[in-house]
Amino acid sequence: MPQRVPQQAGGNPAGGLTRRAFLSTSMALAAAAGAEFVTGQAPALAQTRTLHVLEWSSFVPAADVLRDQQGAEFGKQAGVKVTIEHINANDLLARATAAIEGRKGPDILQLLNNNPHLYAGGLEDHNQLIAELGGDKFYPFIRDAVTVDGIARGVPYFFGGGANTYRKDIFQKVGIDKLPDTWEEHLAAGKKLKKFGMPIGQTLGHTFGDAPGFAYPLLWSFGGLEVDEKGKVAINSKETRAAVDFVKEFWFAACDEGGLAWDDTSNNRAFLAETIACTLNGASIYFVARYTPEKTVPGMADKIGHFLMPRGPAGRFHTVGPFSNCITTYSENKDVAKDYIRYCHQKEVYEKFLVTNKGYINGPLPEWQEHPMWEADPAITIFRELPKYGRRAGYAGPYDRKAAEVWAKYIVVDMFAKVVQGESPQNSIAWAEQELKNVYERA
Amino acid sequence: METRVGETFRKRLVVFYIPLFLFLVALLFPFYWMLVTSLKPDFELYNARNAPFFVWHPTFSHWLQLFQNTLFTRWAWNTLCIAVASTIVSLFAGVLSGYALSRLTFPGATSFGIIIFITYLVPPTLLFIPLASVIAELHLLDSPWALILTYPTFLVPFSAWLLMGYFKTIPRELEECARIDGATRLQSMIKIVLPLGMPGILSAGIFSFTLSWNEFLYALVFMSSPQQKTIPVGVVSELMKGDVFYWGALMAGALFGSIPIAFVYSFFVEHYVSGMTGAVKG
Amino acid sequence: MKALPNNAVTTRSPGTLASAEASARHRSPWLASISAWLENEAVLGYVLMTPALLLIVVFIAYPFSLGVGLSLTDKLVGKPAHFIGLRNFTHLFESQIFRTTIWNTVFFTFSATVLKAVLGMWLAVLLNRKIRFARFIRASVLLPFIVPTVLSGLAWLWMFDATFSVFNWVLRWLWQTTEWLFNADFGYFRGPRWLGDPAWAMFSIIMVNTWRGIPFFAISFLAGLQTVPAELYDAGDIDGATGWQKFWHITVPLIKPIAVVVIVFSFVVTFADFQVVYVLTRGGPHNSTHLLATLAYQLGMGSGNLGEGAAVALFMFPFLALVILWQLLYLRKEGSQ
Repeated sequence: MPQRVPQQAGGNPAGGLTRRAFLSTSMALAAAAGAEFVTGQAPALAQTRTLHVLEWSSFVPAADVLRDQQGAEFGKQAGVKVTIEHINANDLLARATAAIEGRKGPDILQLLNNNPHLYAGGLEDHNQLIAELGGDKFYPFIRDAVTVDGIARGVPYFFGGGANTYRKDIFQKVGIDKLPDTWEEHLAAGKKLKKFGMPIGQTLGHTFGDAPGFAYPLLWSFGGLEVDEKGKVAINSKETRAAVDFVKEFWFAACDEGGLAWDDTSNNRAFLAETIACTLNGASIYFVARYTPEKTVPGMADKIGHFLMPRGPAGRFHTVGPFSNCITTYSENKDVAKDYIRYCHQKEVYEKFLVTNKGYINGPLPEWQEHPMWEADPAITIFRELPKYGRRAGYAGPYDRKAAEVWAKYIVVDMFAKVVQGESPQNSIAWAEQELKNVYERA
Repeated sequence: METRVGETFRKRLVVFYIPLFLFLVALLFPFYWMLVTSLKPDFELYNARNAPFFVWHPTFSHWLQLFQNTLFTRWAWNTLCIAVASTIVSLFAGVLSGYALSRLTFPGATSFGIIIFITYLVPPTLLFIPLASVIAELHLLDSPWALILTYPTFLVPFSAWLLMGYFKTIPRELEECARIDGATRLQSMIKIVLPLGMPGILSAGIFSFTLSWNEFLYALVFMSSPQQKTIPVGVVSELMKGDVFYWGALMAGALFGSIPIAFVYSFFVEHYVSGMTGAVKG
Repeated sequence: MKALPNNAVTTRSPGTLASAEASARHRSPWLASISAWLENEAVLGYVLMTPALLLIVVFIAYPFSLGVGLSLTDKLVGKPAHFIGLRNFTHLFESQIFRTTIWNTVFFTFSATVLKAVLGMWLAVLLNRKIRFARFIRASVLLPFIVPTVLSGLAWLWMFDATFSVFNWVLRWLWQTTEWLFNADFGYFRGPRWLGDPAWAMFSIIMVNTWRGIPFFAISFLAGLQTVPAELYDAGDIDGATGWQKFWHITVPLIKPIAVVVIVFSFVVTFADFQVVYVLTRGGPHNSTHLLATLAYQLGMGSGNLGEGAAVALFMFPFLALVILWQLLYLRKEGSQ
């Protein structure tokens, strides 16, 4: 505010704003800006309530945009400044560790699969929220993902899964008349594709989605298990051996051998650049082809179809990993966080989210499977079937911290990767057994 | 052009021009690649078949995406402030200890010298896990001060080492004369040695500045809010998004993250070089 | 000997400083006693050392001891820690991933350092000639070292990309051109899987680390080369020595002291490298490019197993200590000659 100050030698400048007033105001502003820099927080005068959400960067770009919009909407209604931070899903765990150990960071962490078990010590009790938002109607396997010793440490928001994305025209060209239903059929189809120059593309690298999404169901479909019901390591079995032998043959006969180092984006790029004709993935490849066609060759979207994981002697399986919103114990905005989660689960809000993802995700409650969206685009209808074949990591033991650790260490994925790199099947299985024992049988 | 005894043009070509040219291409090509990729529109970028070395339809859309849709300018500001501040802190500690170790004798001086040198045994990648808990205890997580105070741990040893070398070359007689005239030790340090050591101080400063700009692990672990990140962390964590990375914007981020430091460095090349060589000589 | 600037204090009148001090004493006895205290050489020495030592104690020594303690516990994220002795270390030795990582780190460091030394020396020899644009060339040669490693690493990541690698594009073009020239069909060429095959991935990270480090070696060696008196080379010419002989018998012995310092410094930094692997491979394909630093990060931050992560990180210490000890002894020996 301009002030009148006693006349100084040299006279007042024109107008009421004196030099001293100008200096003091600008210094105050600079001090405030400096204070913000120094303390890392906005000065008290300007404080509003804030909410910092950390979540993955969706493979469906439009979903991220919608989440930000919905976050801003909620912020307006509740008088809160909402920041939604999207990062690569592979980095979520490291950020969660830093935040929970340092007791500072985002108010809501989005955690995948059963990672809430790893961080149970730093997450709130969500039992009441779960009861409010659907209670027993949540799919059992995603409730187990967040429930540690009877207490829910997060609220599952959605789950995704993969199916085989394939080129209808290429399959026709090489003479694959019927979509592969068993692994043998898949192998035969792959041989034809590789001979044609557009093989199957599969990652066996350390990436959170596509690699375990292939390795675990394959192991299960041959009857292999990580641990038995009593929690004892059971991977060294003839069923596992059958799976490993199969992968060895399958890889060299039918797959793009560069897949050892692919991350979750590499197969998308390869498919859209037409170097592979079939790959296990969520619906994001189709999504990009349909809604951002400049990222691929023209007409790609119409050539894409999807089919389920092939069946093995023990059945057909898919990994269905839930994404859950978890409120941290160190958060100073817990009530706001709870309101935000309630907001996200409101029918209209969630419906918009589901439809925007166009089949890439499934809702946490069975009622979302009935939504008309699933019928609207035949290319993605099949993703609705995934919960039927869902199984979780650590089967047949409990869905606990140890299962999460094995997943995070990519032990099952590496077992197959080793074989493909020349290790003998016995040694690969023995290695996996030792690593699993290190996790499960460590005191 | 220098000619050596008995050297034909052909020999010079083979032994000198061609290898030098190859080195320059190898060292500078990635920067050219950053520039070209950041200007290519998506349909050229994701086409595996056409010649990738040139841009046929350059576009600024990636640059715009970088500056408008991400917090890049904020990250740049953070990185700049943190680099400047940690340079100041490390120069302060480095100049003082460099002077003390090279110009003063006191019990334990050699041990202190060795201690400073020995800190290289404990690089950031060894310390970051327990250091994170120290930073948390000091309530500095997610604050620029976490970095401003920890960066000097790897900047000070080098600065002190470098400045010791510089200060040793300043003749003792100058200080002695000043002290005869009645100056205190502190005054002779500030008024005589420091001005004469200014080239060394500048060298240590520019070296510290570039090392701070380059730091990644501490920034990755200690900073969490998007507004507080530095350029390296921000570009890597927020631009490697989704199923198909945004390579155009990513390369633009890499390019514009490198330009400021290259720009600053270009004014101080001689100082940087003499700093590096001075430290190495001893 | 540095030239004295014109305003060196010796040209001032003798009385000025004495009277300044006297007036200071007059102004405040408290200030006066402090400045008297600081006159003591030992006191001043300790006071000046304080900022550096304080930083080192709080942010290096203390966390280091915490880290040692942490590595002896079973600390998991969010849970309290319990002392378990050396169990983390025995457990790590049983893990093949850890054993591979140690080998990776040693191999990576050794290879990269040798390559950087050799190529850096070669570049230094080239730069030692008088050339036009010498300063510009020297400045641009240093760019890979100046620019943040993570950012240039991203450029390399794109250059190595499985589908869009520019190297593979060039190789494929050469392949197809050769096919065309000889009117033959060699089959489909994909190009090396730079980051997909474990051996190639190790090659790639060594290459990127070398690329980044060559300028440091080159400029340091160049400074050393410039101290070699030209007369020695002339004498060698008179004796009829070839270029190679001159290099080996004149240059190398004189460069040795500098070379040792540069090589050891680079070894230590390369051994603890994190950024190159983090950006390019994250330790993959399946742990074949993990270094101790990236493994510590993955175990500690990625799986929340902080005790084990700290143990892995600590493992760097003995290696680095040995190397630095060797350098100290070598320099002491050289110094006494």
